Amino acid sequence: MELLRPSSLGELDGGLFVHGGTEVVPLLRDGILEAETLVDVRGVVPSGVDGNRIGAGTTLAELEASSDVPAALREACRLAASPQLRNMGSLGGNLLQSTRCWYWRLKYPCRLHGGERCHAAEGEHREHAIFANDFCASAHPSDVAAALLALDARVRTNRRELGLADLYRLPDEADRRTTTLEPGELILELELPPVEASVYLKAMDRKRWAFPQVGVAAARSAAGTRIALAGVAPIPWLLAGPEDLDAATPLPRTAWKVDVARALVQRALTDLTDLR
Amino acid sequence: MKLVVNGNEYVVDAPIGASLASILRERLGLTGTKIACNEGHCGACTVMVDGVPVLSCITLAHTVEGEITTIEGLREHRLVGAFVKADAVQCGFCTPGQVVSAAALVAANPDPTTEEIRHAMAGNICRCGTYPKIEEAILHWRD
Amino acid sequence: MARLIRTEKEVEGNFEEVWLVVEEDPLEQWPGGPGDVVGRPALRKDALERVRGEARFTADIQLPGMLHAAILRSPHAHARVKSIDFAAALALRGVRAAVGPGDAPGLEAEAGYAGAPVAAVAAETLGQAHAALEAIAIEWEKLEAVIDAEEAVERGLLHGEPERYERGDFDRAIAGADVVVEGTYRTQVVLHNSMETHQSVCEWIGERLDVYTSTQYVWGVRNEVARELGIAADMVRVVCEYMGGGFGSKNSAGEYTFAAAVLAQRTGHPVRCALTRREENVAAGNRNATIQRLTAAATRDGTIVALGGEFVNALGWGGWSASTEGPLKILYACDNVRTTRHTAKINTPPMKAFRAPGFVEGTFGLECLIDELAAKLDVDPLELRRKNYASSNDGTPFSSKNLAECYERAQKHWDRRHDVRARSDATWKRGVGMASQIWYGGGGPPSYAWTRVGSDGRITVVTAMQDIGTGTRTAMAQIAAEELGVSLDRVEVSLGDTARGPYATLSAGSSTTPSIGPAVRAAAADAKRQIIEIAAQRYDLEERVLEIRDGRIVSHDGNLSVALEEFLDMLGSAQILGKGARGPNPTGMSVLTFGVHVVEAAVDVETGEVRVERVAAIHDVGRIVNPLGAESQVEGGVIQGIGHTLSEVRLLDAETGRVLTTSLDAYRMPTIADVPEIVCEFIDKPDEHLTNLGSKGLGEPPIVPIAAAIANAIRDATGADVHELPISREEMLRALREADRRKSGAGLQSVAH
Repeated sequence: MELLRPSSLGELDGGLFVHGGTEVVPLLRDGILEAETLVDVRGVVPSGVDGNRIGAGTTLAELEASSDVPAALREACRLAASPQLRNMGSLGGNLLQSTRCWYWRLKYPCRLHGGERCHAAEGEHREHAIFANDFCASAHPSDVAAALLALDARVRTNRRELGLADLYRLPDEADRRTTTLEPGELILELELPPVEASVYLKAMDRKRWAFPQVGVAAARSAAGTRIALAGVAPIPWLLAGPEDLDAATPLPRTAWKVDVARALVQRALTDLTDLR
Repeated sequence: MKLVVNGNEYVVDAPIGASLASILRERLGLTGTKIACNEGHCGACTVMVDGVPVLSCITLAHTVEGEITTIEGLREHRLVGAFVKADAVQCGFCTPGQVVSAAALVAANPDPTTEEIRHAMAGNICRCGTYPKIEEAILHWRD
Repeated sequence: MARLIRTEKEVEGNFEEVWLVVEEDPLEQWPGGPGDVVGRPALRKDALERVRGEARFTADIQLPGMLHAAILRSPHAHARVKSIDFAAALALRGVRAAVGPGDAPGLEAEAGYAGAPVAAVAAETLGQAHAALEAIAIEWEKLEAVIDAEEAVERGLLHGEPERYERGDFDRAIAGADVVVEGTYRTQVVLHNSMETHQSVCEWIGERLDVYTSTQYVWGVRNEVARELGIAADMVRVVCEYMGGGFGSKNSAGEYTFAAAVLAQRTGHPVRCALTRREENVAAGNRNATIQRLTAAATRDGTIVALGGEFVNALGWGGWSASTEGPLKILYACDNVRTTRHTAKINTPPMKAFRAPGFVEGTFGLECLIDELAAKLDVDPLELRRKNYASSNDGTPFSSKNLAECYERAQKHWDRRHDVRARSDATWKRGVGMASQIWYGGGGPPSYAWTRVGSDGRITVVTAMQDIGTGTRTAMAQIAAEELGVSLDRVEVSLGDTARGPYATLSAGSSTTPSIGPAVRAAAADAKRQIIEIAAQRYDLEERVLEIRDGRIVSHDGNLSVALEEFLDMLGSAQILGKGARGPNPTGMSVLTFGVHVVEAAVDVETGEVRVERVAAIHDVGRIVNPLGAESQVEGGVIQGIGHTLSEVRLLDAETGRVLTTSLDAYRMPTIADVPEIVCEFIDKPDEHLTNLGSKGLGEPPIVPIAAAIANAIRDATGADVHELPISREEMLRALREADRRKSGAGLQSVAH
């Protein structure tokens, strides 16, 4: 294995990108990711907050402490992972993290790994998805992605600009990926439209250092109110409104998540009203 | 690879992919840094890079640019005495990592509240459950 | 004088009749209350090196030329190795040796669970060893696997015969009772997850084998390794000076030790074999799941007339069946008791003792049911417990029991419940619950200690025990200091090495302090006697007028007062050596520990979140040697118990039998943010019948009642009966829904009437 440390975007040429390494390093060790060339992209990904633009290299710890970003993002960072992981992990990396589905992590030949079955749907799935779970029941673990989705963030990569929702795709028979990033594409920056108020609420089974059972972000802007959820679908999940929860398709052991989501969405909307 | 650890410079030859924790422990003999999960979940391997606590077990040694501080560099820190005095140690396997996290906390915030301590220390798992004593040690670290 | 007795020996609630050679224990107990050193808070003797990262754990042992071993484990829940070929593995770079089924103890051709060890390789690096595992060609014959415990019971797949117990006439008592409550309770599998994984480093030196291992029982490992390898026990030296947690899972040698020993023999190099965290979560033991179908019956005045339980211990492929029915049999005075315990043999990882095995699970079911009974009787739960107080263990008197005083002290915490409930709001409901604790913890013989006093007047206690993090090294030093009349800083303790001290028992079953403490005191007393004999000759005084106080030899009339080191300076290189042994337990008495927890909890009735806000833990464990260390033990037990109650669960894939929660993001132990206010109180009365010390053990008691106390607080807060651990949001919301149904059902009924 070799390690490249480019100092300009022009030098990028293949390889596996690594920033904080909190996700890539364990997945490399497990053989879920494989690479001959690691590319340390810290030298080319911007970091820091500049007005409504946030460098994708900004760590979660920096965002947690930043008064320049909307409350939902700050709170999502504050409640994400552990202090050390927040010190290491970058915003861009967080958006690209993989599911915590134990079958996927333990390399069961599941659909997300290109296989024929969703082991979780048939097996142990108490922490899995309540939406879009018919092909793959994995739950997306990013608090930050839900917050940014509610905040209607736009993503700038080294190739294009896109809405955050378009960064994600549901895995299907033909394509098992959960993001639309192409090989060699690197997230550089996030841009946030103006927002009047935003909140992030998180249900987890420890008070700190746990992935979301259900995370609820809500943001109000001139364009209206957006609600996005973490931990409920294979990708960050946008709700048109609380009534969308009636259309949830929980698995036998994930029905409880619908109740939790309902309560948290209601609270988030109430909190937004209180922030008026 | 060149590493600066506790103010000393080391030149180490190791394959790409080696974790900082393994280099510290096996190559530099700095075994105060413990490996308990080796996948970034427990905090036992916590060291500071430029004063910031990170998980050395999932840090690629070759990507480290800043100055590393391990428990060996904190042996004279007042927190050590505070941990001893508060009985904030049982089996002691997680304790060096706890001290490193605590040292970074009090450097940034010399008078942390209970809530701030709990927020900053939540990434260091202690199976013996010394948490109340750790909290006490950090609250009174300068006494 | 040595005496041979036939006695009942208890470890972790497991009893066996044994012959024991014991020595008399002629020392009078010290009076109750704090002494000069014992009974006063002491800082840990070994805190500094542990905090500074200098303590050398097994994980830190690096020997010249040391190789690393990795273990091949079965991917199947039940299978047999048809063939195994190491050729490709051995051809890889750095690989030095491989062993398969039958080559080392613990490696077997029949794998009874996914994760069972079948082979091991040694290589120059751990990475090479893991790569070599992939290259082993192995052919499996898959066998039928049963994962479900109830299916196993139905099919008669059991470890041993069902365990049955009956006293009185259960059926008649039920028929005559005014109130009967029944409930089914389930407890989950939980994992010890010691921070230091199970591991050993083995090195052969000539014919001798040195084993550095993370263990709770250096002598047990010595004897087991010697027996399994067919060598004399004295040729095996086991070292464990510091160890990173065990909680019951490190009482024996384990396949990693045997593999390291055999691979070291074959390669001529020292070999380390350490479990990874993921292996730890699969194959290092667990607290087995239980199913408990319980019945309690009472008369209207609150007298419990019958208790019954059908228990299933879902043991896994191995381990031993702990007494889940224990609390039900002995916690309350009840004339009519019937229990049956089935021990399911299923194709899941083996159980190992985990901090009060059986009683933790059994107390959850029993103490929840008692509260349901109290509700049905409309009696105060604390009053119900007081009313049914057991004054003997089924006829056998207790050596000491101060549970009544625990209840007395609990009252002020219990009385807070009106205020706690009043702090409820629309979503957060608050309540208070309690549960009683009963468990063993008396220890027993044999254990030995030596003391060594030099001309500098410093004392070394030598005993081949181990301090697994509980602070027993400090407690032993305190006991020696108290007996010898010196300050704590004059005493060191040498432990953790079978080659440099006498036998001491295992650090499990809350037995270290009550077992080894009295031996240490006896050894200190022996040295003191000799010092006084010498002083009497030197100063021409009678021995009986001399004592050692505050580090000085003094005569009762005050005419002689000489510093110990000044007096002993004449020894030069000579030393005073004392020896001591643990005497027998009182015959015909039941030695048990007691306590009560009062918990304040809050429940978010919309999201099912449960928060434990305050725990008052009151324990009766005889004399407290180190109040500071004791408080740490209680806090640790409570916190581990909160994890057990709320967030920890080992999950298996039912199809493959493989553990899914192998990493610490999925297996969730409490963090510092999850800790409630914890108030510790000790009765601190020496057990006058138990040894020269009057102390019982404290490692396990604090984890026993916490789950039930939390569940009872939840019931107080919400009216919901949780019947399953962990009390996840899913279980909490289910219980709340059921309570709502019950309420609306009751409403409909009253309308119909």
